[in-house]
Amino acid sequence: MPNEKTYYSLEAGQNLVCHKCGVHLIKGNAVFEYLDNAFPVELPVCPQCGFVYVPEELAMGRVLSVEKVLEDK
Amino acid sequence: MTDHFKERSTRDYHQKQLFSKEDLERRESLCTHEDPPFCNAACPLKLDVKAMLAAVSDGDFAKGRSLMEFISPFPEILAWGCDAPCRKVCRRSEIEESVNIPAIERAIMQHSMVPKAKGLLKLRKKQRLAVFGSSLFTLALAADMAAKKYPVTLYTEAEDEMDLMRRCADLPDEILQRQLPLLRKADLKICYSTIVDRAFLENEEKNYDLVCGAEYLKTDEVDPVTLCDDGNRVFPHAEKKYSPILQSFFDARRAAVSLERIIQRIDPHKSRPQEGETESHLFTNLTYIPSEEAVIENGVYSREEAIREATRCIQCECVECFRGCAYLRAFKRYPRLLTREIYNNTGIIMGDHMMNKALNSCSLCGQCTVTCPNGYDMADICRAARENMVDTRKMSLAVHEFALLDMLFSNNEGYLARKQPGHETCRYVYFPGCQANGIAPDTVYETYRDLMNRKEGGVALMLGCCSVIAKWAGRRELYEEQISFLKEEMHKLGDPIIIAGCPTCRSTLREHFPEVIGLWDVLEEIGLPAGHETLTNEVMIHDACSARNDAATQDAIRRIVSSLGGTVKEGTWSKERTACCGYGGLVSYVNREIASQMSEECVKEDPDATYVTYCMACRDRLKRQGTDAVHFSELVYGISADDSPGLSQKRKNRKQLKEKLLKEDWKEETMEEKPAFTYELSEEVRQKMEDRMILESDLLETIQAYRDTQMAVYNEADETLTTQHRIGNVSFWVRFQEEENHYKILSVYSHRMTVRTR
Ligand code: SF4
Ligand code: SF4
Ligand code: SF4
Ligand SMILES: [Zn+2]
Repeated sequence: MPNEKTYYSLEAGQNLVCHKCGVHLIKGNAVFEYLDNAFPVELPVCPQCGFVYVPEELAMGRVLSVEKVLEDK
Repeated sequence: MTDHFKERSTRDYHQKQLFSKEDLERRESLCTHEDPPFCNAACPLKLDVKAMLAAVSDGDFAKGRSLMEFISPFPEILAWGCDAPCRKVCRRSEIEESVNIPAIERAIMQHSMVPKAKGLLKLRKKQRLAVFGSSLFTLALAADMAAKKYPVTLYTEAEDEMDLMRRCADLPDEILQRQLPLLRKADLKICYSTIVDRAFLENEEKNYDLVCGAEYLKTDEVDPVTLCDDGNRVFPHAEKKYSPILQSFFDARRAAVSLERIIQRIDPHKSRPQEGETESHLFTNLTYIPSEEAVIENGVYSREEAIREATRCIQCECVECFRGCAYLRAFKRYPRLLTREIYNNTGIIMGDHMMNKALNSCSLCGQCTVTCPNGYDMADICRAARENMVDTRKMSLAVHEFALLDMLFSNNEGYLARKQPGHETCRYVYFPGCQANGIAPDTVYETYRDLMNRKEGGVALMLGCCSVIAKWAGRRELYEEQISFLKEEMHKLGDPIIIAGCPTCRSTLREHFPEVIGLWDVLEEIGLPAGHETLTNEVMIHDACSARNDAATQDAIRRIVSSLGGTVKEGTWSKERTACCGYGGLVSYVNREIASQMSEECVKEDPDATYVTYCMACRDRLKRQGTDAVHFSELVYGISADDSPGLSQKRKNRKQLKEKLLKEDWKEETMEEKPAFTYELSEEVRQKMEDRMILESDLLETIQAYRDTQMAVYNEADETLTTQHRIGNVSFWVRFQEEENHYKILSVYSHRMTVRTR
């Protein structure tokens, strides 16, 4: 995951709206953290409340595999 | 109290030795898998007989030849003149005639070609050697040293090549003739017709760095190991143990080793390779070896005859522990090697712990300790390694967290301890076990009813987990806490005798409580209840791995099955040799694939048979795998088994069982907290949750959190909402459609990482 800041891109036509704030999510700076390791990433974020969206493919794909690697460290 | 569920840091280093050096060696030495086959151990030249016979049986005579050339410069002479100590110890001899190893060697020589000289010549070394003599010892020594790239001159009284060969070996000319190409290839300078007397020797000696072979020079007795006299000259051994030809080659080999040491100015006694016959503790199981008639050697074997005789070789190898253990087979390492790798794994401070999966995939079932002729205890090693990894904070919580939380659920929300209604004191307490409560609550309910009615002295009830889960996970501290909890609880019930419904609970609780008997013991005593099922067919029994060493329990179950009308068909892999169903050691949480293979292993003898189990987890896993499995108590109480419940259902079952019993027997109503909303889950989503180990309770909590905070992402494209909620160490995500107070769940997923904006 390091050096891979944009492994999720907001696809055109995929309009994500923060349900609470009623504004569109934007590409924002986020960070994943696990077992004292941090990975800066770009993810869809609500510009008002800061809600970070982790889509299913990302969670069950890349995130899971990085978790597994760290768990064996 | 320690927070057992605080994630560790990969930057936090702790170290603790798993075993002392001596302890590690003691454990490893029990596995004799690496010991040589008996033929190889008996051969003083250390011929790899097994590999040679394997090559011949594959028709690869050239490989057979190269293995022989490796141990002797004139392998055909050896093949004709060897008295074959290997044959005497060949394991085949315990069934019938041993493999005719020297006859196969002769055939190899007959049916293969002398290979061409290798293209790449190693640089010659500079020390020059003179060898005097006309014996097989001197010839072989000269050839061995030449093969080590020393310039060697052989001085012989023989007149020519054939004369030399005749002096060396008493074999027909036809065979000796065939050695001449080898003699020429040997890179030797041979001086024929030399009269080797003292004057000649004294004259020549100064031209060489080393001279050997001439008896005139011998100053003292030769050392039996190095074959050196005290002047560092080598000679044949006085003691003749083998046939003259084998003895000569063997002596020459040892002498060559000494010479090289002397040239390098090393003590010839030091760091010698293994020489001569050795002892082997290899175990070869002859039970499965069919009889195979020996091929008579009439002249020299034809190719086909040699191949046939070579296939009689058993290819001695110890695989006893592999036969019944899917785990060892999957990791493709015999215990000695596995132990070493697991040991090294615990020692790694920074970096990848490649063997975590391996040490967490053993079911800790103890089968190998029974099947290994030396009693190898892999379970103890894996358990110790888990504890070590936990103690040094290198074991990830993710590995066992789900199972540990399940244990805590059983001892909290699912927990119940009550005396039998109307009894001030209870002589007994029924402890069905967390798996029975989760998998077969109706059976547990009936069993308790029956025990209350028919077992005298009062039977209390304790629904909970025996805590073995913490033990399996290597979490000693948590285990001790849970055991103390159970002890306090038992004390409140008046320290009754425990009637365990599960063999694993029984063996676990036995370590902490004075008297723990099995439900089967009680049923034998009070007899079967009315309304039990009647077996009409032949059944097999899948013994629980935790009852491996408990013959009394194994027998009791068999008697109960007979009383139910069943005939027990005994398999080879039952009783103390039984395999684990894949629940043991928490394998099913860590390595589902191996856990499935373990379940299959349990029924491999007859996958279509009915298997009676006495552990509910075994029943569950075997049934899940498609086997016709039934728990003996299901037969005893005539309750037809439910299908295998999922992870959430198991928890619900425990809670409902507790509530039902509380209400009916102790007249206590439980306040049910119903969610303020309704939801629907497709079978597909349910399966996804099962695979991802996400509980329905996690889902409901996440929806509730959404209802409280309204935090979610709305996707305009498909008009769905996705919300997130963190419970403990896991973030849960739910994608859904909302309609007033109703939720249509479209997907559920999770991750352990945390995420935030920066
Ligand atoms: S049974 Fe297994 S552990 Fe025992 S000696 Fe053979 S290979 Fe080693
Ligand atoms: S059966 Fe084969 S491997 Fe075993 S001792 Fe005999 S020759 Fe050697
Ligand atoms: S699963 Fe059982 S038989 Fe296999 S190594 Fe572990 S304890 Fe031994
Ligand atoms: Zn917002």
